[in-house]
Amino acid sequence: MTGIHGLKRAWRVISEYKLQIIITVIFLVIWLTFYTINPSAFANPFAYTSLMTVAPYTIIPAISLTLVVITGEIDLSFSSIMAFGPLIMAMTWQVQGEASLLGVILGLLGGLGAGLLNGVLITKLGIPSLIATIGTTFLWRGVVLVATQGFSIPLGEYRGSPVFSALVGRFGDIPIQFFWTIVLAFIFWLFLNKHKFGAYIYYIGDNRVAAQMVGINVDRVLITVYAIHGVVAAFAGMIATLAMATFYPTLGDIYMLKSVSSVVIGGTPVTGGVGTIYGTFIGGLILEFIEMGVVAAGVTGFWIRLVHGLVIIVALAAQGILRRREIIRARIMRLITT
Amino acid sequence: MSMKNIVEMHNIVKKFGSVVALRGVNFHVRENEVVGLVGDNGAGKSTLVKILFGIHAPDEGEIIVKGMKFKRLNPKLAYELGIVLIHQERTLCLNHPIWRNVFMGREITNKLGFLKISDMKKTAYNSLSQLELTRMPVETPVKYLSGGYQQGVQISRALVFEADLVILDEPTAALSLAETHRVLEYVNELKKKGKSAIFISHNIYHVYPVADRFVILDKGSVVAEFYKKDLTPEDLAEIMVSIARTGSVPEKYKELNLYGRTQPT
Repeated sequence: MTGIHGLKRAWRVISEYKLQIIITVIFLVIWLTFYTINPSAFANPFAYTSLMTVAPYTIIPAISLTLVVITGEIDLSFSSIMAFGPLIMAMTWQVQGEASLLGVILGLLGGLGAGLLNGVLITKLGIPSLIATIGTTFLWRGVVLVATQGFSIPLGEYRGSPVFSALVGRFGDIPIQFFWTIVLAFIFWLFLNKHKFGAYIYYIGDNRVAAQMVGINVDRVLITVYAIHGVVAAFAGMIATLAMATFYPTLGDIYMLKSVSSVVIGGTPVTGGVGTIYGTFIGGLILEFIEMGVVAAGVTGFWIRLVHGLVIIVALAAQGILRRREIIRARIMRLITT
Repeated sequence: MSMKNIVEMHNIVKKFGSVVALRGVNFHVRENEVVGLVGDNGAGKSTLVKILFGIHAPDEGEIIVKGMKFKRLNPKLAYELGIVLIHQERTLCLNHPIWRNVFMGREITNKLGFLKISDMKKTAYNSLSQLELTRMPVETPVKYLSGGYQQGVQISRALVFEADLVILDEPTAALSLAETHRVLEYVNELKKKGKSAIFISHNIYHVYPVADRFVILDKGSVVAEFYKKDLTPEDLAEIMVSIARTGSVPEKYKELNLYGRTQPT
């Protein structure tokens, strides 16, 4: 009996984490494929160091974006906030003549303000999030371009300062930004799964009317989620800026599609209500692995987008099939649970 | 039967633009009483309970809950006052497990707001077992449950929250016969526990077995009120048809009509 019980339990766990298991398998298959094609590149620890250096730019904003998507909303403006936050930091440093913590804090506050604006536009003025954040994408990018006149800001002179070491230094061979990525992923996972706030995020995405009817302050939760996403995007932008020791006014543009893709590959549907931080994390790694693999395979970088596109479509198709089966399963279950 | 009113609504007027949904409705529910709120589509039944639960604000009138006067409520306040609204599927998160749905909006947490998951599962299980709803583990997503089971989950939410008044808005509308029967049993269970309930339905054969008193709404006004003991289901059907056709109660039942006589003072 206990054996059967154990099996039943195991099966329940497997079906509960089905999507995470599938995404992990896809990740391993991709890794093995590249490893087989080019063992010398993929056995080299340097490859993983460089992966851990660049992956955070995509994964960090994708982690907080996951919360936004679970609520059933979207945010595109994080790509511009990724430039707006570090712009404030870089300009503060220029004025002060040192790589100060104040600059970092002001930059994060800039991200907070931008996120709050998104939240207020969407909840209090009722503007659909897609439209509102397209607007703020242009707004913050515009601010950056006007402030810099399109020129980049070199920050090489501050290299070696404590702020640099804390954000983009090395811990042995491990880039510190990867450590921050894991810390953030853990914190977000913890809040999403074990905290009241995370529960409200899921409920709002699953059934907003129900969330309102049980007394959850939907507007406040949404504004908070957008604000957090703004801060995290600014943080990711700072890491990218410091890693290159230069502030580029175009920073963030390419991460918009990559971070959104990480979220959807990771199994968080844009319809909201479900989704995981783990999936997003692996989704981001998959995209980075593909880039690395394509480069290591010795073909031109033009292939990257093509392979990205294929993987996104395959992942979404797999999820689509799963969800459809899930709907049928739910219908059958409903009949037998009377 | 206790005579104390748990809820009173006085002279409630609600307009949606130029449409008058409620025209000065007086309504009350006593302690440990099940009120069947019946009437045709568009009579204002749902609007009335939505005002009671705080989803809509009335344009005029006042609401008295447990002796406290309010111009309007909101859902959070309504919960705190012990009022729970149960609607066909609408107040459940289908992708989430039973235990989360039972506690939705009122989670058991520590001081930092982290969920006490095992406490919640245990309490949910205990509450569900009072309704004999333990066939499915509390981890089961609600979307796998039949309509009747889902209503049971919502009712157990009301039990966990120790609601004193449970509003059931068309709880049997999309259910099979057997499922409807179960939901009616849940309502009886609530009554046994000393709770009050408002049961909304078009179908008088669903309301009749559980209600103590019927309030009939027509075009935004209460037109009649009867004790169950005074009527058979067939009488009630005859009255309803007459109201739908002529707007008034048939002559032979006018003696029994309580409306205007039982209003709380």
